[in-house]
Amino acid sequence: MSSMPDDEQRRDFMRRSLTLIPAVSLGSGVTLTASAAEEPPALADYQPSFFNTDEWQFILAACDQLIPSDEHGPGALETNVPIFIDKELYGPFGHADRWYMQGPFITDGDPELGYQLPYTPRELYRHGIAAVERYCQQEHDKAFSALDAATRDDILGRLEQDKIDFAALDAAPLTAGVFFSFLWQNIREGYFADPIYGGNKHMGAWKMIGFTGARANFREWVEQHNVPYPLGPVSLSGERG
Amino acid sequence: MIAWALPMAANAQAADQGVIERGAYLARVGDCVACHTAPDGKEYTGGLAIESPFGTIYSSNITPDKQTGIGDYSEEQFARAVRDGVRADGAHLYPAMPYPSYAKTTDADIHALYVYFMHGVEPVNHRPEQTDLNFPFNQRWAIAMWNWLFTEDEVFQPDPNRSDQLNRGAYLVEGLGHCGSCHTPRGFAQQLKGFDASDEDYLAGADLNDWLAPALRGKGESGRGVVDWSEQDIVDLLATGRNAYTAVSGEMTSVVANSTSHLNDQDIHAIAAYLKSIPAHTGQAGGSASKAASPDKSDIAESGTEAKLASARDLSEGERLYLDNCNACHFTDGKGAGHIFPMLDGNSLVNADNPTGLIHTILAGAEMPSTPKAPESVSMPGFAWRLSDQEVADIATFVRGAWSNDAAAVTADQVAEVRKTLPEHSFSVSPGYRSTGRDQQPTSGEQLKGGAPVEDDQ
Repeated sequence: MSSMPDDEQRRDFMRRSLTLIPAVSLGSGVTLTASAAEEPPALADYQPSFFNTDEWQFILAACDQLIPSDEHGPGALETNVPIFIDKELYGPFGHADRWYMQGPFITDGDPELGYQLPYTPRELYRHGIAAVERYCQQEHDKAFSALDAATRDDILGRLEQDKIDFAALDAAPLTAGVFFSFLWQNIREGYFADPIYGGNKHMGAWKMIGFTGARANFREWVEQHNVPYPLGPVSLSGERG
Repeated sequence: MIAWALPMAANAQAADQGVIERGAYLARVGDCVACHTAPDGKEYTGGLAIESPFGTIYSSNITPDKQTGIGDYSEEQFARAVRDGVRADGAHLYPAMPYPSYAKTTDADIHALYVYFMHGVEPVNHRPEQTDLNFPFNQRWAIAMWNWLFTEDEVFQPDPNRSDQLNRGAYLVEGLGHCGSCHTPRGFAQQLKGFDASDEDYLAGADLNDWLAPALRGKGESGRGVVDWSEQDIVDLLATGRNAYTAVSGEMTSVVANSTSHLNDQDIHAIAAYLKSIPAHTGQAGGSASKAASPDKSDIAESGTEAKLASARDLSEGERLYLDNCNACHFTDGKGAGHIFPMLDGNSLVNADNPTGLIHTILAGAEMPSTPKAPESVSMPGFAWRLSDQEVADIATFVRGAWSNDAAAVTADQVAEVRKTLPEHSFSVSPGYRSTGRDQQPTSGEQLKGGAPVEDDQ
């Protein structure tokens, strides 16, 4: 044979692959799951693996504030986003397992240099939450989770704009802006990632935006015009939404 | 004197080297290494457990070690072992050793194999587990009777009415290649029902440990498998483990990896030409001549399945599961993509009477062999972690009746039986969280220590 497919075969394959995300290998370093579509836990019953009780209250409140439940779809609490973040920090990401974590740490360099703190994400969260709680105690004499929605919004806005001085709160070299960017990034990940990672319970976020999930190939739909796609999403574990 | 002797010695060595290489090539054809090597053992040191209907048979050490291998064998004794299944001490080998096929090997090839095993293989002192079957199968003398009844011990004779190429192909297929050991059905005493194309059972397909070894008889109008393939399709499969229709699975994966992918083009083409010269007949396993399925043919059933899947409306459970699990690679037309994703429409494994091979493939996935001409081991993930027995049964039942396929339904109980046989590591894994090893201790409640950087539990 010619071990290379001839042009026609190659073209045929390319055509067939156009709308396909190959699911040929699902990666390594992962664990065996005994049963696939386990019912996700209720958030109220969940025992965090990484966060302590006070931190957990902060995460719950921040998630609820940043992606609230509304007429468009479920919120971050309904979709177990805090569980996603807890698992994420408990696992390799939390330990910065695959990051270069040696100095020098150039904190005043160009943003192109990327993340420049000596903290793993676990440490970053621990310092960041502690700083915000200190700030809330100083300003309002209450924990973040005990504040009303408008005040929480205001504080999250200040964090985002880097307007809370973390150095004065004993958290340098961490800054409010960096902490918020991690928090917001991880909340969005938990909201939209496959439910197998703990968040996006019952694919609530996917249903809201009309994403079809891990079905991987929609070749037969390329030429069906003005026909609504009839199927809901499917998750990596095979759950249907 | 010395000046005269040296070039002679060098020549003798060069000649030997040529014979050793030819012997090594023939050992590839015979795929000796597959059975005479244990999973973690050194090449040719034996110890592979071969399940037979009579019990477990362990292969022997065939390195030239004098104590534990075949180092003391004369060429004559070696020939007796390979062609007649008789050890140097006179005891009979169990016919797990394919000597009924190897019997056709010519003297010249036996010589090359002997030289290779004596001089081209490192002697390794290793005594593998000994075969110890229960009565009456431990009575090795009875094998002599079996041999007399069921084997032919003639060296291959070229047929003057056939081309050289067909004779070469027949010699490789019937002899060292021992294709019939798996692809020819066996009779009541586990004997092969035929040793060459003159017998209509020869290469007519068989059930090998519940896995279909499809019919290889390739001459005919239309059908499933080899009969529908071109000579080049057969060449592709043997050389690379994949072709325009399908990919090898089960035992054949190792045969391609260890043996056929190393054969030269001339020999592979000779094998393909010979297989295409054997008339197919109805009733052969996985290739009956009445069932049509090829990339060019379509019928109402095929387009019916395809249209139903494409509309994605009013789906049966099997159809829905196919879309969610299989369609990404095998597509609504069930035709996959040549050399990459096997065609399910008309696939002999999918349509096998015994669905075990199909069930096993869905549960545990499959991986093509890496070969010199196609190094990529394209793999299918297993779905054992993701699908219940009933779901696997629904998918299997659907694909066995989809397009032009027409095999019987599969039950959840059948799936459960196959699932029991899978070792845990053959399960595909879900992309969940891996334990980092240091998170064994509960870390909940880690506290800040006086504002100093956290001492993480690293």
